Amino acid sequence: MNRLSGYRSVWLVVILPLLTACSPADQPEAGFAGLGAQLEGRSEEGPDFLQPAPGDRVSLPRDLGPHPQHRFEWWYLTANLTTSEGVPLGLQWTQFRQALQPRSPEQAPPPADEWPLQSAWMANAAISYQGEHVFQEKLARGDIGHAGARAEPFQVWLDDWRIASLVAEGEDSDHERWALSVNTRDWHYDLELSPRRDPVKHGKKGFALKSETGQASMYFSYVDLAISGTVTIAGKTHRVAGEGWFDREWSSQFLQAEQEGWDWMALHLDSGDKLMVYRLRKQDGSSFRFGTWIPRRGKPRALRGDQLTFEVAGSRQTELAEVPVEWRVRVPLAEVDIRVEALPGNYWNRGVFPYWESPVRVWGSHQGRGYLELTGYGDTE
Amino acid sequence: MKSPNMKNLSGPTIPIDDGKLFQQSVTAMTQAHSENPVLLIRGLHKHFRSGSEDIPVLEDFNLTLKAGESVALMGPSGSGKSTLLNILSGLESWSSGSIVLFGETMTPSREADWTALRRTAIATVFQEANLMPALTLRENLQLRASLAGRSDPDVDGWLADLGLNGLAQRYPDQVSGGQRQRAALAMAFVMEPGLVLADEPTGSLDRRTADQVADALFRFQKRNHCPLILATHDADLGARCDRTVTPGNQG
Amino acid sequence: MKLLPALLSHYRRHPLQLIALVVIVVLATGLWTGVWELTRQARHSMEQSEQAIASRYQVVRTDAQPVTVADFVGLRRQGLCVTPWLEVRRPAPEGQVIGVDILSMGCFQEQGEMASPPDLNQAPFVDIGEAVRIAGQGHDSRLRLLVASAGAAVPDAYRIRPVPGGLSTGELADSFLLNLDALCVLVLLITALLVRSVYNLGLVQRRSSLALLLRYGVPAGRLRLYLIGELAVLAMLAAVPGVMLGRFLSQAFAAGFGQAMGGLFDVSLYAGGNQWISYLLALLAVFLVVIWCALDALGLAFAKGQTSRPGARFYGMFAVVLILAGVTGTVLSQALWQVFVAVSLVLVGTGLLTPGVLSRLVDWLAVRGGSPLILWSRRELAVMLRRLALPAVALQLAVATVIAIQALVATFESTFLDWLEQRLQGDVYIEVPAGASLRPALDYLAEAPEVTAWHRVQRGVASLGGRRADLLALDPGSELLQAWAFIEAVPEPWSALAGGGVMVNEQLARRENLEPGDVLSFSIANASMRRPIVAVYADYGRPVDEILLPHSALPDIFTPTFSSLSVQIAQNDVPVLRQQLTERWQVKNLTLRDNDQVRQLARGVFEQTFSLTRAISVLTLILAGCALFLMGWVFFTARHWYYQLLQVWGLSRRELRWRLQLQATGLTLLVAIAALPPGIFLTWVLVARINPLAFGWSLPMAVYPLFWLEMLAICGAIGLAIAWLVQGTIKSRAPAPLAATHIEGAER
Repeated sequence: MNRLSGYRSVWLVVILPLLTACSPADQPEAGFAGLGAQLEGRSEEGPDFLQPAPGDRVSLPRDLGPHPQHRFEWWYLTANLTTSEGVPLGLQWTQFRQALQPRSPEQAPPPADEWPLQSAWMANAAISYQGEHVFQEKLARGDIGHAGARAEPFQVWLDDWRIASLVAEGEDSDHERWALSVNTRDWHYDLELSPRRDPVKHGKKGFALKSETGQASMYFSYVDLAISGTVTIAGKTHRVAGEGWFDREWSSQFLQAEQEGWDWMALHLDSGDKLMVYRLRKQDGSSFRFGTWIPRRGKPRALRGDQLTFEVAGSRQTELAEVPVEWRVRVPLAEVDIRVEALPGNYWNRGVFPYWESPVRVWGSHQGRGYLELTGYGDTE
Repeated sequence: MKSPNMKNLSGPTIPIDDGKLFQQSVTAMTQAHSENPVLLIRGLHKHFRSGSEDIPVLEDFNLTLKAGESVALMGPSGSGKSTLLNILSGLESWSSGSIVLFGETMTPSREADWTALRRTAIATVFQEANLMPALTLRENLQLRASLAGRSDPDVDGWLADLGLNGLAQRYPDQVSGGQRQRAALAMAFVMEPGLVLADEPTGSLDRRTADQVADALFRFQKRNHCPLILATHDADLGARCDRTVTPGNQG
Repeated sequence: MKLLPALLSHYRRHPLQLIALVVIVVLATGLWTGVWELTRQARHSMEQSEQAIASRYQVVRTDAQPVTVADFVGLRRQGLCVTPWLEVRRPAPEGQVIGVDILSMGCFQEQGEMASPPDLNQAPFVDIGEAVRIAGQGHDSRLRLLVASAGAAVPDAYRIRPVPGGLSTGELADSFLLNLDALCVLVLLITALLVRSVYNLGLVQRRSSLALLLRYGVPAGRLRLYLIGELAVLAMLAAVPGVMLGRFLSQAFAAGFGQAMGGLFDVSLYAGGNQWISYLLALLAVFLVVIWCALDALGLAFAKGQTSRPGARFYGMFAVVLILAGVTGTVLSQALWQVFVAVSLVLVGTGLLTPGVLSRLVDWLAVRGGSPLILWSRRELAVMLRRLALPAVALQLAVATVIAIQALVATFESTFLDWLEQRLQGDVYIEVPAGASLRPALDYLAEAPEVTAWHRVQRGVASLGGRRADLLALDPGSELLQAWAFIEAVPEPWSALAGGGVMVNEQLARRENLEPGDVLSFSIANASMRRPIVAVYADYGRPVDEILLPHSALPDIFTPTFSSLSVQIAQNDVPVLRQQLTERWQVKNLTLRDNDQVRQLARGVFEQTFSLTRAISVLTLILAGCALFLMGWVFFTARHWYYQLLQVWGLSRRELRWRLQLQATGLTLLVAIAALPPGIFLTWVLVARINPLAFGWSLPMAVYPLFWLEMLAICGAIGLAIAWLVQGTIKSRAPAPLAATHIEGAER
């Protein structure tokens, strides 16, 4: 399982057998065979999915919406907030789409009353507060309206969880504002988010490499969101405010066979600078590193592997695995030499595929906070 | 005090066929007061088998008991006193020797005859627990008399005779130990026995009470010419019998 | 430490008591573990399936339109947990399929893991998209939206309704499980009583040796501590094999039980699970009983040995007050827990009262017996009843429970079969295809030689003062209806119905406090009506209000939501019927149910259920019998001397055996007879009080005297077994040498 591109597609590997089991074997199922081949370790893609190419560009607002020609994509928010009592509160919301067969944007989706299964969606959300970590996950089939995404006006939803633009059509979209609402039986949150700077396109204008051999995704982020709203947990409603990071990413390529997971972090430094780094770990211990340095003023700068170091500085034993919760990150060209550490607590998101996602604090050459996401550690294989 | 008499000694009815013939001779014997011995024991041997060991309890024991005669079986524990009484009740077998009881030669195998004898002719008094706990003293006497086939027993007369008037409705656990033993004697007497076997009848009583119980026993024995075999440790009690015998191989 | 050997020497001298205590604890733990495990598994799997797939509630539109994918999406986006369920009626050999959407089922197991129930991965379940494709081949299909919770708040345009599975037995299943739970609690009480009684008996016999130890200067506190410790060690040692026995029992019965539950209630048993909970509970129960016994050890052991019965009168009064209060409470209670409390009062009172009453009765009979030997024999029996009060009461309650459970299951079965009869009038049930005209079918039925009788059934919706009720329309003249069971009815109810009346089901009658003669106002398709109620019919297991009208009373604009035909045929000509109707209606797949098969299935299921309850009953009886057997043995052993005394007094061994048998069987038979009133009471409580309070409908009360005879025979056999065992011990003729100091067993 961990040979795929992190948890973001692995959950489908868990679900797909269930879906296939529901269908007779003779049913044509584009995409399933390709997935099987991936599990065998071949890196070739299904022929019909569109692959990100070095010349691809990010276009807004179109690319906030879905990409049915690509195999998978996600909308991903992490937020470092503070309650009105001054207590730090971290939260996360993610929604994924995985296509089982590609569809061109011009082509209309199949009628909803056929209950088509060209794509499946998953949403998950978590709150980290005072050492407690709550998490929930939901699934839905696409194209019937149960879950979906739309570029204009921006909306992504599954059940009654959704993020949607608050800007009325025709209004000046320079002041984009979004509302995010997540409800579970035991906790919920309602937030208003507004980007304070233009989206940052990672890599080459949004084309972000995932390996030396060219696997890549399209990737851009709103790195500085002003967030306010309410969070209800353990029966108590808190007013919260703070900053957030919103990722948009889509691709059709899985990881290479020898890549076993990834480590990702997005940091808000007190200097006003932002930093995103990730590495994809290989079984032989080496890794593919990538990042973006976003100075407070000026142009963001893509970081190649030789422009950053990214090392484990400490681990925490948890019930699922030993987790590298402390890191040393150096970006010499920005004079960054920092330590990044997960806040005390246990931040496993125990969904169909468990992974670690925790708020972090930063010290060293810079102070700050952010989020750390680690996959491929809790695997029982 | 109304004293029970012997006038209705018409002989016990024994409801067991095998015992019919025998019953007549018992009746004859008990009525006759003759000089014929009630009990004649010759060369009685009794061995217990304990594993591979053969433990002799009685060896070549001889005894002749005439009507109206009382014999004390003395001797230490284990000398065979209780065993002898059990043999004479037909509750235990013996190894060799002959026993003639009421003129009949008895063998261990005549179970029906032994049962009939125990029921009608042989009264046994133990050291304690001679009464059924769920019955009153009167009911105990009635039960014993009924088993012995006495159709119209003078139960209250015997209770009065033994100084238990007013206690007839009491249960055994509501009277004293001495009163219980006197009631046990009354039970023995009410069946109008041909032979009384007493096994330490005063063994668990204090001296004064024991004397009272012994007085009653011997009074009855003398008055009715009833043969008595009394097993006891108590030399004073033994001395009140006509003679003393020591069973067992120790002599 | 010399105290320990001194204390334990009691068991060296009385190994029987040790064995009895160990055996009882082993059996009791085994029974607790086994029974608890069985009911827990049943309940667990029931809840599981309720939450996961077999949710028996669906969301329907108030405008009576069928639900669509748009309804599903709308409801989901409002946060309601619903999942689609598409039944596609495909004929054999492929058979029916059910389309499900596994992705949307996560919320049905909010707390559990995200993995879907494994049984969805096999036939008849397929992905709903695939099911739509199959339906597209020309098979009838019906979409439902199952909802996780019957109590969920739904938007105004929707209602939550039970899924009308033709033979949905959800409420019956709940009722059955609740009653099984009640049985569990009773078994627990009974076994606790037994363990305590066996221990107590031993304790009474140890009194003198304990007193001796006290006289030797052993501090009372230390003695108590040792006694409790001894008891705890003993209980724990015996509990381990007991738990293993229970595990074995539950596994042995789980298969049959699983089939029974699965067949009846769509419940599948999950083997395994948190079994340790059962073990823990059994151990906890042992622990509680040990504490109870230990309280005795603190008090009784140091009480003076007294054989009188202090406060017997007080106990009697107290017991009568308890029983009266309990019966009153049972009748008046408005909540389940109150009924349970009241019933326990009655049972406790019965337990307190029975031995005293029985022994008095026997004492009273004793002096009227004629011969002194009979007097002795009956007095002795009275003593036994007092001395063996606890195990006797335990046997009494066990028999009472078994009688109640048997009556419950038998009533349950006959009721269920009655209900089936009522629902399955005729031999064959035919669903009229949606949109099909009845005419061709009616023409055929009217002239077909193989059809002996038939009638038409329409279902729809009525409004009762704004509230929705189900509507059932029938032809009152049909001879297939004559077997209907009515709870209350006017004379000639079917004619009265045809003559302008209305019938209501039990739930509606109870809820609205209606009875025949009342006038009911309702409206159908906006037409208001007022009709007198002519009958209340039993409608087991359906919580929905329902009214029944003749077809002729329906307004013209009424359209049934569902229409069917019940047909009685001369021979088993089902295939002919199917072929004829299929042709006339021009449909590919006709829903036609052979009611005989359904009945056979139901009977088979009940046989399984019977074998399960029989197993639990037998286990309980065995335990109670064992306890009485052991204690009877201990009792007779203690009283051995007096039986020998009778031998010394010339009672033949044959007579003695006879007396023994009379006493032992007298004891158990009296106990069994004394079990009848509480047994009948319990039956009544289960069917007439607990069920209505829990589910709003009652089972009819029935008693089964033949089964009572069976119970009497079993109890007689237990008595004979005790007598047989004791006879062995008085075979030897010579009285045992008497202990100089004390005689045991002289109680009266």
